[in-house]
Amino acid sequence: MKQSKAQKVILIIIATLIAAVFIFPLLWMFFTSFKGMAESISSARLLPRNWTANNFIELFTVDTANAPIIRWLLNTAFISFGGTALVVITNTLAAYSIARLNLPAKRLFMFIIVASMTIPGIVIVFPRYFNFRDIGLLDTFAPLILPYAASTLGVFLIYSFLRNFPRDLEEAAYIDGANQLQILRHVIFPSIKPVIATLSVITFILIYNDFLWPLLVTNSAEMRTVTVGLANLVQGANFVNPGKMMASTLIATVPALVIFIFANRYFVKGVNSTGLK
Amino acid sequence: MKISKTVSTLMFLPFLLFFVLFWIIPFVYGIYVSFHNWTVSGGNNGFVGLDNYIRILTPGSMYHDSFMNALGNTLYFVGISLVPLVVFALLLALLIENIPGKLKVVFRTIFFISYAVSVTAVSAIFKWLFTGNGGYINNVLQTFGLDSIRWLNTQPYAWIAILAATVWWTIGYNMILFVNALDEVDESLYEAAALDGANAWQRFWNVTFPSIKGVFVFVVIITVIASFNLYGQTLLITEGGPARSTMSLTMIIQNTIFSQNNLGMGSAMAVLMGIIMVFITGIQYMIGFRKDENG
Repeated sequence: MKQSKAQKVILIIIATLIAAVFIFPLLWMFFTSFKGMAESISSARLLPRNWTANNFIELFTVDTANAPIIRWLLNTAFISFGGTALVVITNTLAAYSIARLNLPAKRLFMFIIVASMTIPGIVIVFPRYFNFRDIGLLDTFAPLILPYAASTLGVFLIYSFLRNFPRDLEEAAYIDGANQLQILRHVIFPSIKPVIATLSVITFILIYNDFLWPLLVTNSAEMRTVTVGLANLVQGANFVNPGKMMASTLIATVPALVIFIFANRYFVKGVNSTGLK
Repeated sequence: MKISKTVSTLMFLPFLLFFVLFWIIPFVYGIYVSFHNWTVSGGNNGFVGLDNYIRILTPGSMYHDSFMNALGNTLYFVGISLVPLVVFALLLALLIENIPGKLKVVFRTIFFISYAVSVTAVSAIFKWLFTGNGGYINNVLQTFGLDSIRWLNTQPYAWIAILAATVWWTIGYNMILFVNALDEVDESLYEAAALDGANAWQRFWNVTFPSIKGVFVFVVIITVIASFNLYGQTLLITEGGPARSTMSLTMIIQNTIFSQNNLGMGSAMAVLMGIIMVFITGIQYMIGFRKDENG
C-alpha cells in the first residue's frame, strides 16, 4: 500500500505516543527504585528529586535475611536453564521417535498428546502438588524442575515441523551406515534448530515467570524463585515502600528483559505455531 | 529404513515417563479425589459420588456461593478483557505493519517487551501506580487539583486497574500473532482492491480480515482461556476485593483446598472449571469454523 509522507509521519507519531504509554510503567519502576521512601510515596514526578541507591544497598545487605534476592535469582536461573534443557531433550527425542522411527502405537500417543493440550492446567496443578507432598519432595528442586518436562508443546512443534520435512538426507545418512542417534545429531538437529530456539525461549520465559506452581511447592525463603519471592513483598505488611519494592522488581525483571531482547526474534517467528499464552 | 522398535521406544521413554508422572497421574488423581470427601489434613474420608459436584451446583452451601461468585467475576473479566486484548492488539498490529523498515522492529519490540515481565512484577508496578494512599496516579491527580480515587477499594476502579495491568502485560503477544498473520497476506490482493477503488476500510474488511480470520479466531480462543485463568493479578493487586468482587475461579479453588481444608470440593471445582473452559473453547471453534465455511 502506498502512503504519502504526511501519512507516514502521522502513523509514526501515533506509534510513538502509544510506545510512551507502554514504556511508562517500566520507566516508573526504574526511576522509583532510586527514590527514598518519603519521596516515592508523595511525589508526582517521574524523575527522582534526590537520587539514592539506598534501596539497592538495603536489598543486598539488611534485607537478605528475609528476602535473599540473589539466592532467588540463582534458583530461578538454575530452574529455568535446567527445566528448558530437560524439555528440549525429552521433547526432541519423543518428536523424532513419533515422526520418524518405528514407535509402537505412535498414533495413539500423538492423539493423547494433542488431547492433553485442550485440558486446562488448573485440573492438573493442585493434584500434582499433593503428589509431591505425599512423596515428601516439597520445597526441593525436584518439583520446581521436573514437571515442566511433561510439557507437550515441544513434541507437537517439532513433530509438526518434521512431518513436512523431506527425508532424503536421513535416508542417505542411513545408507552410509549412520545409526539413529547419529542421524538425530548430525542430520535432524541442524535442520530443526530454529524450532528448538523458539521452544527454548518460550519455555525459558514460561518457567522464569511461572507463579502458581512455584508458589505452591516452595515454603522456605531460600527455595523461592524470584517471581514468588517478589510476591511476598507485594502482599500485606511488606507493602509500604514503593522505592524498595521497585528496586527488587527491577532486579527480578532485568535478566528476563535482557534475555527477551536478545532472543526476541525467535519468539516472534515461533509464536504463531503455538497455542501458548 | 528398518528401525528397531527398541531404539524407537527408548527415545520416546524419557518424555513418556515425565508425561505419565506429572500429567496423567495428577489428572486421574484429581478426578478421583473429586468424587471423595477428602481433606488436606486428614486425607480420604470415603467415596461420595457426585456429592461435591451437586453441592457446588445447587444453591444452599457456601461452596455454591463462592464458586458462583468467582465464576461470575471470572466471566465478567473475560468479557471486559476480550475487546482490548483482541481488537486493540489488531489495531496495534495494523499500525506497525504500516510503519517502514527498522522503526517497525523497534515499535514491535516495545509493544511486546512487557510479555517478558512476570505477573508479580506487573502486579508490583500496577499496585503502586493505582494504590489509593501514596500511589503514583493519585499523586498526579492531586497535583492537578483533582480528587484522588480509591482505585483498589471501589468498583469499577478495581477492575480498571486489573484490566490495565493485564492489557499492558499481554497485549503484545496477541499483537505479534496478528503481525505475523498480516505479513502473510497476499500483496496482489491489495493491489487488485486498490484498482477497484476500495478505501482503507473496504480494503481491511474485504481483503485483510478474511485473510487473517483463522488467526483472529485463534487469538480470541487463547485470550478467553488466558483471561479465564486470571489469578496473579487479582491475588496480588486487589487481593480478591473489594468485597470479593475480584475473586477469580483459580483463587477460590486454592482457597477451598487450603483455607477450607477441602481437597475433594476444590478438586471438583477445578474439574468443573476445566469442563466449562473446554466447552467455551469448543463453541468458539464451532462458530469460527462455520464462518469459515460460509466465507
